[in-house]
Amino acid sequence: MGAGKMNFIVIDDSKLDCFIAEKIILNSGSCESVKVFQQAAQALEHIEASASQGTTVVFVDIQMPVMNGFEFVENFEKLSAELKKNYHMYMLSSSINENDIARVKGYASVRHFLNKPLTNDTIKAVLEEF
Amino acid sequence: MDSNKKIKVLYIDDEPNNLVSFKASFRFDYNIFIANNTTEALQRLEENPDISVILSDQKMPGMTGVEFFEDIRTKYPNPVRILITGYTDIDSVINAINRGHVFRYIKKPWTDVDVQSAIDEAHKFYITSSMLALKNEELQKAYEELDKFAYSATHDMRGPILSVLGIIDLAKNAEEMGEIKEMVGMMENAMLKLDNYIQNLHDHYSIRRGELNITDIDFENVMKDMSDLYDITSRVKNVRFEKMVQQNGKFRGDDISIKIIVNNLLSNAFKYQRKEADEKLVTFSIKAENGQVVIMVEDNGIGIPKKNMNDVFTMFFRGANDEIGSGFGLYNVKDALNKINGKIEVTSAENVGSKFLVTIPSK
Repeated sequence: MGAGKMNFIVIDDSKLDCFIAEKIILNSGSCESVKVFQQAAQALEHIEASASQGTTVVFVDIQMPVMNGFEFVENFEKLSAELKKNYHMYMLSSSINENDIARVKGYASVRHFLNKPLTNDTIKAVLEEF
Repeated sequence: MDSNKKIKVLYIDDEPNNLVSFKASFRFDYNIFIANNTTEALQRLEENPDISVILSDQKMPGMTGVEFFEDIRTKYPNPVRILITGYTDIDSVINAINRGHVFRYIKKPWTDVDVQSAIDEAHKFYITSSMLALKNEELQKAYEELDKFAYSATHDMRGPILSVLGIIDLAKNAEEMGEIKEMVGMMENAMLKLDNYIQNLHDHYSIRRGELNITDIDFENVMKDMSDLYDITSRVKNVRFEKMVQQNGKFRGDDISIKIIVNNLLSNAFKYQRKEADEKLVTFSIKAENGQVVIMVEDNGIGIPKKNMNDVFTMFFRGANDEIGSGFGLYNVKDALNKINGKIEVTSAENVGSKFLVTIPSK
């Protein structure tokens, strides 16, 4: 693991899944900060308002009401390169729908599709990418 | 017979005499439209898209009957086509029948009985194929719904299960009792959510597949059942619950459908409150009289944004940032209403509230 401590953002409409993600992230030992959003629009506002200081990993759920994960990523991709550069997206879902998984691969800003729930093993694998 | 309900028949012939005698012979049995040439015939079809049988003379200047039938086939595929012709054109007739353009042919000079039986048979064929088209459409809709369902089931049913698995994984390493208790509470919520989803699903299929069971409805009882369910919610969530029921005379209807409708509307009214509001209020009234019941459920909650108004009755549509909505509720309401010929009107404004007005006729 090269990068040391990192920032995390979790976006999921399920309070429970946010709780799980937050715990797993805090337990990973690589957490500088973690922010949780139950609404994608709020997460987007947060990113728009402040360029990230350091590397930030974003876990975003796909199925959410009002603004879903795909819409979030599409809006994120419209932001300036300067704003975007420190954010690294991972899409999470309980979906086993192939169309969803294929669609994730179509987004340049998304690194991987991850299966729910987030576990110690998954986060370890994610951290090894940095 | 009312002329609107008679079979609509179009007859095309370049001989005005034939047109007149045809109309004279059959005007009592059918709703007859006549045309002197194919241009006129197209006009009649345009004006009366529900013409079910077309009879055409074969030998006409400009275009033959067979050619005309071929011509209109793409634009008007449904009307059944009958050709009227003399023996001299038998080759073209055989050709046309073999190519499927003509249902029957009647030889000239025609007898009333021949024409009548041809029209009646043609109309039967027309009804059967229209029914088939309708059933196909329904089937298509059912398939699409099944697709949507399969998609949602993987998410909405797997979601809570995966959440609980995630918590269990965390709980394995948790030391503190307080932390573990918190996790158990979360698991409980996830299971409640799953159970709610499955109950909605059950409602959905009881509406879809279940037969209607028409009985006398006592709306005092409906009110009592709903009070049993929601008085507690009202107290726990600190929402004032105002109820009014009035029934003059008998009302006959399907108890299960009515309860599904009322229960979903009330559940939404309590669910979509504004958290910070001081005077939370749900008003529920039932008024049954003059062979119908009007049910009103009104809240002063978050309301429905204008852009979502058209989608609220769509399956799996979720308009609010909450995690309780299954996207089933109002869809089930609409479905149940369709089944019992009910109507629903929604008026809503964001951050002011929503009002659902349901009207159901007595059976």
